[in-house]
Amino acid sequence: MRKTWTIGAGLAAASLMALAMAGCSGDAALDPAQTGNGENTIKLAEFPDRPYWGDTHLHTDNSIDAFGFGVRLGPEEALRFARGEEVTATTGGKAQLDRPLDFLVIADHSDGLGATRRLYDAPRWYVKWVIGDETVLRWYDLMHEGPEGSQRAIAELITAAANGTLPEAFSDPERAREGTEDIWNTQIGLLDRYNEPGVFTAFAGFEWTLMPDGNNLHRVVMFRDGSERTRQTMPIQGIDMTVEQLWDYMAAYEQKTGGKVLAIPHNSNLSNGLMFETTMADGSPMTAEYAARRAAAEPVVEVTQIKGDSETHPFLSPNDEMAGFGVKGWELGNLPLTATSTPDMYAGNYARSALLRGLSLEARLGVNPYAFGMIGSTDSHTGLATADEDNFFGKHTGNEPAYKDRAMQPQNLGTRQGRFGWHYLAGGYAAAWARGNTRAEIFDAFKRREVYATTGPRMTVRIFGGFDFSDKDWSGDWVRAGYTRGVPMGGELTDKGSAPTFLISALKDPDGANLDRVQVVKGWVDASGTAQERVYDVVWSDMDKRPRTAKGLTPVGDTVDRKTATYTNTIGAGELRTTWTDPDYAKGQRAFYYVRVLEIPTPRWTLFDAVRFGFELSGDALKDAVAQERAYTSPIWLRQLKGTT
Amino acid sequence: MTLPGWAREPLVHFLALGAVLYVALTWGGTPVDPSSRVISVDGARQAQLALAFEQVMGRAPTDAELDARIERYVREEVLYREALRLGLDADDAVVRQRMVAKMDMTASAAAEIAEPDEATLRAFFKANQARYAGTRAVSFEHQFYPGKAEAQGGLAGKTGPDFISDAGYRTGLPLEMNDAPLREVEARFGRQFAQGLAGIPADGKWHGPIPSGFGWHIVRVTARASSEPDFAALRPRIANDWRSAEIAAREERAYAILRSAYRVDIDK
Repeated sequence: MRKTWTIGAGLAAASLMALAMAGCSGDAALDPAQTGNGENTIKLAEFPDRPYWGDTHLHTDNSIDAFGFGVRLGPEEALRFARGEEVTATTGGKAQLDRPLDFLVIADHSDGLGATRRLYDAPRWYVKWVIGDETVLRWYDLMHEGPEGSQRAIAELITAAANGTLPEAFSDPERAREGTEDIWNTQIGLLDRYNEPGVFTAFAGFEWTLMPDGNNLHRVVMFRDGSERTRQTMPIQGIDMTVEQLWDYMAAYEQKTGGKVLAIPHNSNLSNGLMFETTMADGSPMTAEYAARRAAAEPVVEVTQIKGDSETHPFLSPNDEMAGFGVKGWELGNLPLTATSTPDMYAGNYARSALLRGLSLEARLGVNPYAFGMIGSTDSHTGLATADEDNFFGKHTGNEPAYKDRAMQPQNLGTRQGRFGWHYLAGGYAAAWARGNTRAEIFDAFKRREVYATTGPRMTVRIFGGFDFSDKDWSGDWVRAGYTRGVPMGGELTDKGSAPTFLISALKDPDGANLDRVQVVKGWVDASGTAQERVYDVVWSDMDKRPRTAKGLTPVGDTVDRKTATYTNTIGAGELRTTWTDPDYAKGQRAFYYVRVLEIPTPRWTLFDAVRFGFELSGDALKDAVAQERAYTSPIWLRQLKGTT
Repeated sequence: MTLPGWAREPLVHFLALGAVLYVALTWGGTPVDPSSRVISVDGARQAQLALAFEQVMGRAPTDAELDARIERYVREEVLYREALRLGLDADDAVVRQRMVAKMDMTASAAAEIAEPDEATLRAFFKANQARYAGTRAVSFEHQFYPGKAEAQGGLAGKTGPDFISDAGYRTGLPLEMNDAPLREVEARFGRQFAQGLAGIPADGKWHGPIPSGFGWHIVRVTARASSEPDFAALRPRIANDWRSAEIAAREERAYAILRSAYRVDIDK
């Protein structure tokens, strides 16, 4: 190859430099409706009229690990992708959502925000002589070696973070503060630019990465406000803190700005029992004050995402034949697999047992710390908020579809055995019942827990609880009936001495698979104080042809063609609805009821990969290549008047 | 204005200032010969080194510290020139990547901070009409049937002599939508339905049936925004789209200018 450098090219380069150095004209003037919390900007429905779909947990190249894993998409590309535009993925290739999302929280790790990107961009001599840390230099060199080296460096970095042995260069508060300030201020301006009331909501947020001994206590922090308020704060670090310090930070923000903020715990499945303890973090008995603070700050838990599903575990729910979705691999240990999980830890790891613990704690303390709603999200580290089986873009850039054998590759963050690509779920989404698409409306839906989780499909699920609902309500305006004579998901009923009745409606994803069944999961504390749970099949497709047997409900069937990764909607139902009254109600019971909706079996992303890229899935991966995707609603609680038991 | 994190590093400021100074000092004069073995640390250079120290440490350097800085600068300069002489810059993948990224950023930085005028945005809007089609509003009613034949029967009931006002099955879907953007219709009824609906004339009469993921629908479109999508309402989005397209275009354009000066021979 021969090249000729001409004067023309030299001049062009020089003029480009001049262009770059020309003064800046400042931010374009934004519509004031975009920069606030969206109150009074659009016409709202009388009642929440549809679920708005979003991802509250997306990482971009500002995340210390995401960048190291190789992602080069930043917050702007992430926003553009989520709202339906085409972007170019880091590993090449165009990516576009076939259905846009309604909202997005960019939740980059506050710990080391932008740190790997800064490190990567620094000259080597600077790293060697000025930072002067051998480990950092080693990571620097690994990162520059190429994608594999970079992924190894980040795996080591996460393990170091989990073990509390991060080099000082990453934990130096002054450097961190400066880096964070830049990124935050840039980002909240960008979020306003993309925030369009009525069309797309861009939330400010970050991930707070508390991880004692590698046990995952991460939270996503999500703000209700626009830049005029979020500019008055900055993300805080998570490592070496306590969760009460996070709540202090949140309270201080609300007091200072008059804004609102909430935190969303996630990956309780990787917490080795610490996420939903019956004590406080230091092991002392939980106080009512602690319980109240937790309930107020953390109204919603993310129960399903790429790194597994945290609804329940077969060990905890032996009579639930549908338990165990997204458990494999993740059940083995904590986040970096530096400590294995044992069954005694499970009750603190999964949402259903936590909801039960909440009832027991409430009986003792008068406050329920674990009265939370449920959502799904992605936790994608690719900048791309994908959650469908047929568009899984990977947990991080090291397993984007460009890596064709990703399903069979070990995916250990640390160095031990146990987790493979096929253990990843394609991700989940959050559905929020709101009166319109604004920051305030969606955030408030989270706050009142009128939200639900799905493992990706966009089924429309409604539940209203009350004491006088009947089948007749379906022939009228049942939504109005639900809101005026009962409470929606996330709400609370007060025991009046009769069994509660629920209006339950599930519509399939209009562009997805049919529904198999709708279940009610009830948890309660019995007269002896023991926590109990039961799963009721309340309505299912072809009920006349699928009787209940001793082994449970007759399965819906399976239309998945393993050779082509296709299925047909010749089984299942488009819509399932029912009026259901609790047959096991007892006066004075504390209970929760949530709905689980199951789709018919469909191919998992691993099967799509196998067909697209022409390889064989083997062993457990093959057995796991078809699954029933699902939705979990937030519960409705049956509470007792204060002073009664 | 958007700057990546590294651009706020004092070190980078120092290097940038150094570059400017370098250009200023050599502009119109004899360019520094990379093979020159003279390193001049004049007053201006020393001032730069002192400033860089101050930016990092928050105070002026002592004489000894400045001497140390100068010594480090000289060392760096010696090794840098020797490295150039050995051609180490040419073969290094990291150096290549960093320089490439710098050139791309240089080209796009101006677009990131530019504020487009009304005419620019309108032109962009016009050229990209199809992207905004999802914002066109429609008003319609529908009735749902699980099967096609049943739906055809339903349609006959609407259009035949004995008008049936409320046939169809009750579902969780809304019975009508008013002035709803197409993307809202799609969010509730799915893509298949939205595509079918696009083919129904807005004549207020019952038509169909059209399929959806749920089953079959007969529909009556009462109004459809006939004109193009509303520029004013879409302005923020158009500005974002323009900016993003502009960044890509500038990178492309800058590259094309540079590229045009090269002849590339690729062995077949």
